[in-house]
Amino acid sequence: MDRETYLFKAFGFIIRSDYYFQELGYLINRDNQFPEDINIRIEDLSTVWNEEGEVGKFKVKKNHTLFQVKDTAVFCVKDGNTILVCPFNGTEEDKIKLYILGTCMGILLIQREILPLHGSAISIEGKVYALVGDSGAGKSTLASEFMKRGYKLLTDDIIPVLISNKGESIVVPSYPQQKLWIESLHQFGMDSSQYRPLFDRETKFAVPLKDQFFNKPLPLAGVFELVKTEQSEVELNQITKLNKLQTLFTHTYRNQIISGSDKLEWHFKITTKIANDIFLYQLRRPEFRFSAAELADLIITQIKEEDLLHA
Amino acid sequence: MLDISVSKEKKLVRQVPGNIASDMDGEKIILSIENGKYYNLGDVGGEIWDRIADPISIEILITNLMEEFNVQRDVCEADVHNFLEHLIEEGLIKVE
Repeated sequence: MDRETYLFKAFGFIIRSDYYFQELGYLINRDNQFPEDINIRIEDLSTVWNEEGEVGKFKVKKNHTLFQVKDTAVFCVKDGNTILVCPFNGTEEDKIKLYILGTCMGILLIQREILPLHGSAISIEGKVYALVGDSGAGKSTLASEFMKRGYKLLTDDIIPVLISNKGESIVVPSYPQQKLWIESLHQFGMDSSQYRPLFDRETKFAVPLKDQFFNKPLPLAGVFELVKTEQSEVELNQITKLNKLQTLFTHTYRNQIISGSDKLEWHFKITTKIANDIFLYQLRRPEFRFSAAELADLIITQIKEEDLLHA
Repeated sequence: MLDISVSKEKKLVRQVPGNIASDMDGEKIILSIENGKYYNLGDVGGEIWDRIADPISIEILITNLMEEFNVQRDVCEADVHNFLEHLIEEGLIKVE
């Protein structure tokens, strides 16, 4: 049966999808014969779910990960090129799409041996700096501060890192959208009524990016790990030696599937390679105070120092 | 503590299979697949690690290292035993 599909470009791939994503760059109409890299299909997964599925768990095999999101859908990511979705009746489509572009893409990137770091990536003077951290650490808010200053964003949730033929660590742009908490919108003087809430989570909003999006791959130069503290001052400390690997592991998106996907060795090799090439810092920010401007100043100063050191 | 100095010349030491090694900042880094931990063996430690990929007697290992790094026997023995005991504790090598 022929059904309508859409072509998009995201994460450096051409994607053919049964779902329409307004946040992705819509490519060409469906009549064009375009070889896609990734397929997103709606499919009945009840048989495979009944055989292998387990609520609350990623069922991970090499090149095949199956999971269910409660009251939403069953997802299967396989072979580094296919995302299958079996939606439950009455599920909000926006919620499904959030999991496709989030968890599913993260798993797919691991299957393709592209490192998905969890965070935002900004371009400064032709190089990429990754802001990583746990959920709520302030990655997107800090990224917004940089955009306010005229810097461009390559991605705001998953940072795909690969090693080029020349042996460089490269960040590939994902898609032109930011996700911001309502508090951050207000801090930056943005009106939340102009933006679409991410499904029923009314406190976090989808903010489309236009000129502030950088759409070409760039080399990765540094990683800043954001951590909340109860101290009142911001603090910057270099991450060294084995802690570099631990930090890169901790902030690998969906790292719980790496072992089951038989990708431990690959992950170890790519993170040691990256740790050799870049600098890493931990940035501690006060939990109860809006400090984005201070943090951005600190980062800019540090980048200048690193550039002088390695010039 | 495992006393590996007793009749050491008879004992063979080797890597436990399934650990992966890589280089970072000029030092040998190991990932234990078993426990998911990272280890930094340093540069000399990395040298020893490479030499125990296949079973080798501790006596021969020490003699080789003494020649390579031009150190005295008592210093070399102490350092190597210390290092190997750490690796045994972490389950990275076997002595038999």
